[in-house]
Amino acid sequence: MSSIPSHSLRARLLWLLLASIVVVAAAQFLIAYRTALSEADDIFDYHMQQMAMALRAGQPILSSGGTAERRGAAEGGDFLIQIWTTDGIRVFDSIESEQLPQLAVLGFSNVKARGKTYRVLSVQTASQTIQVAQDEAARREIAGRLALRTAAPIAFMAPLLMLLVFWVVSRSLLPVARVRHQVAKRQASDLSPVSEAGLPDEIRPLVLELNLLFKRVQAAFEAQQHFVADAAHELRSPLAALKLQVQGLQRASGDCARELAITRLSSGIDRATRLVEQLLVLARQEASLAAGMKPTLVSLAAICRLALEDMIAVAQERSIDLGLNHADEISIEGYPEALRILIRNLLDNAVKFSPQGGRIDLAVRAQDGVVELTVDDSGPGIPIEHRERVLDRFYRVNGSQTAGSGLGLAIVKAIAERHGAELTLDDSASLGGLRVIVRFPPSTPV
Amino acid sequence: MRLLLVEDDTMIGESVLDLLRADGYAVDWVRDGDTADNALLAGSYDLVLLDLGLPCKDGIDVLRGLRARRDRTPVLIATARDSVQQRIEGLDAGADDYVLKPYDLDELLARIRALLRRASGRAEPVYEHMGVSIDPATREVTVGGQPVVLSAREWAVLEPLLARPGLVLSRTQLEEKLYSWRDEVSSNAVEVYIHGLRKKLGAELIRNVRGVGYMVPKT
Repeated sequence: MSSIPSHSLRARLLWLLLASIVVVAAAQFLIAYRTALSEADDIFDYHMQQMAMALRAGQPILSSGGTAERRGAAEGGDFLIQIWTTDGIRVFDSIESEQLPQLAVLGFSNVKARGKTYRVLSVQTASQTIQVAQDEAARREIAGRLALRTAAPIAFMAPLLMLLVFWVVSRSLLPVARVRHQVAKRQASDLSPVSEAGLPDEIRPLVLELNLLFKRVQAAFEAQQHFVADAAHELRSPLAALKLQVQGLQRASGDCARELAITRLSSGIDRATRLVEQLLVLARQEASLAAGMKPTLVSLAAICRLALEDMIAVAQERSIDLGLNHADEISIEGYPEALRILIRNLLDNAVKFSPQGGRIDLAVRAQDGVVELTVDDSGPGIPIEHRERVLDRFYRVNGSQTAGSGLGLAIVKAIAERHGAELTLDDSASLGGLRVIVRFPPSTPV
Repeated sequence: MRLLLVEDDTMIGESVLDLLRADGYAVDWVRDGDTADNALLAGSYDLVLLDLGLPCKDGIDVLRGLRARRDRTPVLIATARDSVQQRIEGLDAGADDYVLKPYDLDELLARIRALLRRASGRAEPVYEHMGVSIDPATREVTVGGQPVVLSAREWAVLEPLLARPGLVLSRTQLEEKLYSWRDEVSSNAVEVYIHGLRKKLGAELIRNVRGVGYMVPKT
């Protein structure tokens, strides 16, 4: 039914309930009315019968020319009594002005006379016919009034009931309106939980989930704020170095000093650039995690080869033996660019921390659907107490002199998380340095 | 004057080191909190340039330790920690000044001069002593109205003597003002510079205290 409002629960409830009340009340009213009418009819008929019986019993009193009181006119609802002898001679009639023809029909019947309809009861005795009649219209009028009095309370009750229903429905839906109001008047940045006090069981789960969502959004928001604050903080030192290096260049006297100053300045700019690049990569990874791009089927071994190509020059500069040790040809669901960055960052760290002439092994192994990517190096490794913190942003192991941004492993962690992979740091049994293991979950078959 | 530079960032450290030395200071550079502690316990510095985010021990803790020992060496904090709360914490921990990275080098040098000035008990930047007028900011020395040119090393010997008139500085102490611990010290360098200073500024300005060292007399 398109006429029922479909957007508002309250309106729909009220419409249906009130309409139902009206319909039911009307039906009740009609039924009560008709029943009362019918009952009245029966009662009148019963009276007529009683009267006829009484007349029959008291019949010897009435003879022709009887002195029974006669009334001039009938009042509404009055019974008209007429008695005939078996010969057809009218012996008595209660109201002179209204006379009815004698009827041959015994029992109840309806007779039209003098423009009115009469309900007539004829009873035969041994010597007489007794006829009791009542004006139908009058009878109907009395019956009607009676029925109306019976049904009228319904008419009063219905509006009251409607008011009550209106009030109950409105009251019951108040908590919903309150929640709506609470949320509507919030500031854009207000993510505090919505009060669930007094909410019906149907609404409470919704509000609970909403509050959980607020919490998640709040956490993401705060994480982003921390990231920005951390990044701004971390940029200070590289920028301070640049400023000092420029001032050093300005004060440099002599070609030698100038050369040195320019070299330093150049390194400083490289460092700042690297930091900004890493920050962008990290921000993009974390944003992609939130955006939910679709992964594709990629060959991990192929990406390893690409990453190796990226890093081979740097490794050779330090005479480091960098190679792909073992490569099971296995495909996993993932993001190829991100995986390349992950492997490259791990190799970058390995190259930075390995000594001259060291060795780095890259391997991809698949077993029972689980794919393991490992990077082993012959460097100093990472002491156990630092292993957890080293994955934090900007954390550098104490005393390390390397010019890193501190973000490499944080990026690796972000990308691993994006793939649902597990990142573990361990001692390398084969090369004596650090072993990084990235364990990818089994891909769900497409 | 001898400064201790506490800074873990290599690029910042090497630049500041060179620039401070170019300005005539003897500078020792340490890169973590523990080494800073040891250096402060072992040597005497005229000023400490302190970074806060250090490996092994935080700069704030180094500072607190220093002040707990009642060491009054002026400390200038130069850090990336920029919140108001952090600045308050640094100053209340005993720092004499607090500078944020990135900073301007010239401003840093001026702040260093201000702290050294106060540590000498002086307020006026340009001052006169026994007929010699000295401007530490420009390293200009005037004797009887005539400007005198001093070498950087001569200045490095003169400045600490003038900073505390009446205080005797031994030859070793003056050597420390001249060189950081990495440099080689020739055995009579100090005598050579004192001699040069007496020639340029007059013999009465720097007095020899036999067996102890040198001093500039109080007026």
